[in-house]
Amino acid sequence: MSDPSSINGGVVVAMVGKDCVAIACDLRLGSQSLGVANNFEKIFHYGHVFLGLSGLATDVTTLSEVFRYKTNLYKLKEERHIEPETFTQLVSSTLYEKRFGPYFTGPVVAGINSKTGKPYIAGFDLIGCIDEAKDFVVSGTASDQLFGMCESLYEPGLEPEDLFETISQALLNAVDRDAISGWGAAVYIITKDKVVKRYLKTRQD
Amino acid sequence: MDIILGIRVKDSVILASSKAVTRGISVLKADDDKTRVLSDHTLMSFTGEPGDSVQFAEYIQANIQLYSIRENCELSPHAASSFIRQELAKSIRSRKPFQVNVLVGGYDTRKESPHLYQIDYLGTKVDLPYAAHGYAGFYTFSLLDHHYRPDMNTSEALKLLKMCIEELERRMPMDFKGVLVKVVDKDGVREIEDF
Amino acid sequence: MQAIAERYSNQSALVKELQYDNEEGLSNDFVNGRSQFSHLAPHIALPPISTPQEFLRAHTDDSQNPDCKIKIAHGTTTLAFRFQGGIVVAVDSRATAGSWIASQTVKKVIEINPFLLGTLAGGAADCQYWETWLGAQCRLHELKEKERISVAAASKILSNLTYQYKGAGLSMGTMICGYTKKEGPTIYYVDSDGSRLKGDLFCVGSGQTFAYGVLDSNYRWDLTVEEALYLGKRSILAAAHRDAYSGGSVNLYHVTESGWVFHGNFDVDTLFWEIKAKEGSFNNVVG
Repeated sequence: MSDPSSINGGVVVAMVGKDCVAIACDLRLGSQSLGVANNFEKIFHYGHVFLGLSGLATDVTTLSEVFRYKTNLYKLKEERHIEPETFTQLVSSTLYEKRFGPYFTGPVVAGINSKTGKPYIAGFDLIGCIDEAKDFVVSGTASDQLFGMCESLYEPGLEPEDLFETISQALLNAVDRDAISGWGAAVYIITKDKVVKRYLKTRQD
Repeated sequence: MDIILGIRVKDSVILASSKAVTRGISVLKADDDKTRVLSDHTLMSFTGEPGDSVQFAEYIQANIQLYSIRENCELSPHAASSFIRQELAKSIRSRKPFQVNVLVGGYDTRKESPHLYQIDYLGTKVDLPYAAHGYAGFYTFSLLDHHYRPDMNTSEALKLLKMCIEELERRMPMDFKGVLVKVVDKDGVREIEDF
Repeated sequence: MQAIAERYSNQSALVKELQYDNEEGLSNDFVNGRSQFSHLAPHIALPPISTPQEFLRAHTDDSQNPDCKIKIAHGTTTLAFRFQGGIVVAVDSRATAGSWIASQTVKKVIEINPFLLGTLAGGAADCQYWETWLGAQCRLHELKEKERISVAAASKILSNLTYQYKGAGLSMGTMICGYTKKEGPTIYYVDSDGSRLKGDLFCVGSGQTFAYGVLDSNYRWDLTVEEALYLGKRSILAAAHRDAYSGGSVNLYHVTESGWVFHGNFDVDTLFWEIKAKEGSFNNVVG
């Protein structure tokens, strides 16, 4: 239990739908068995690209700030927002820079390419190996449970409302089988011209 | 294990820290002050490895004071807490990390609102209505969950704090020699005498 | 034919097994407690190595060895307290193995007999096995002495047992709660170190501190039965909320002079929002 990636607990999941993507996280921050905060959001956005970070909370905060810094510089140089595909490469190389003293996080990228309109999601291991998926990616302390839920609930080509229902049920039922995740959840449904954020009412134990 | 507690209410933040300094089987000091004033409206309490804790606290204090002299502007509690978190996050990946946990209580004079942050030695920062480090949270969080109301005033919060201290005195295995209580509000930092 | 007839003759299987000639000899020895009966006690195998306790700890105790492969179900909040109207016993119902929630519907109160309850914290199998065993011992006592066993005696049987196994790696923290004429409502805390303590108020398990927090600040001897049951339920809820390894649902019991009464199972999901709305508490949680 002194494993850095399971001290604080928490999960992130992303899914692809028809012309939309969804990304969701729980809100718990704990210190081993003790629940400390229920407002610790693990999803950040840089322009229209969304990044979920599960794992060691200090690294979640540090990385979210590193990417804010890097994407702001990118915007100044390029005079446009970064695209999901480009951001994925940025995440990967940032993580690999720390190959021998890694950040203990499991990042997940989700977004829609503003040029092509193509939905895009990707996951990473802690040192930057990219996992480009066409259906869903999961990460965090309840990732085993999330894999099970996603494998059984997911279907391709879902409309935004149905995708919301699917990702929410997958997350909710996964964290209910993990002692160190849960305590609230946030879901983002991302379409070409709109982002909807919803908080879910979850079990509080 | 030292005790540090913090409660944020409507227009103030209260920080309480235990007065005992224990080394081995002896209590070396029974009136210790485990807090440092960072600026007129920001107070930090700390626990952790002996040596590290005071060194770190005074390093932070000095740097924040230096900032306000250079820039002629007081750092907000939020900005101060971000600076402290960054220092701890840097430290954890250094050759000899600071093993220090802190609470930052402050009153933001611009936004006219109180703030309380909990930051641990890893650099995990959270904004909380009530916070603690070490074992204190295990005994007091359930009490605070039960009795805390966000619209409490300072004297009601002090009563709630008293309940927490009584519970700690009842159930904690060792004597922590009572607590030093400080309040941060729009008028700055003040100590509550004979709490 | 003879074999079949013999099988159905009035000699019980027990008489045969213990090689008695007749029932009378058996019942005499039973009442006087002859050594053959040790044969009836369970036999627990120990691994054939020099220090079984270290072996077991190395492979099951994740606080000592985070990489251990065998994770024994643990993590609990249980409480019992005495008051004017008897005893309230309240427990959660979560079982975890590492951070995996193995079950949300565990029964952590063992109904030893209509007047005795045992609570279960620590190794789930240890508690379940030995408290069921304790139930059998209490029944034997009743048959021998023609009188119900005292809470003191029942808890002593268990603590003697845990003391025998001390160091072997048992993990249990339990409260034996009951009512007898001569003792009144009584609670004994018994654990796997061999401790046995009589007291008015105990919380046991990983969520004990959270339960103590709420319980201590609202406990009075002259609580009404309704107030006491609510306080028990509320204390477990507090622990279920903050402790990752407690949760599921709350099971509530009340022990009086006429035995124990079950007061229901409350799912934490619904109970939490209900109590939050009613009390205006849990202000750190937004609905």
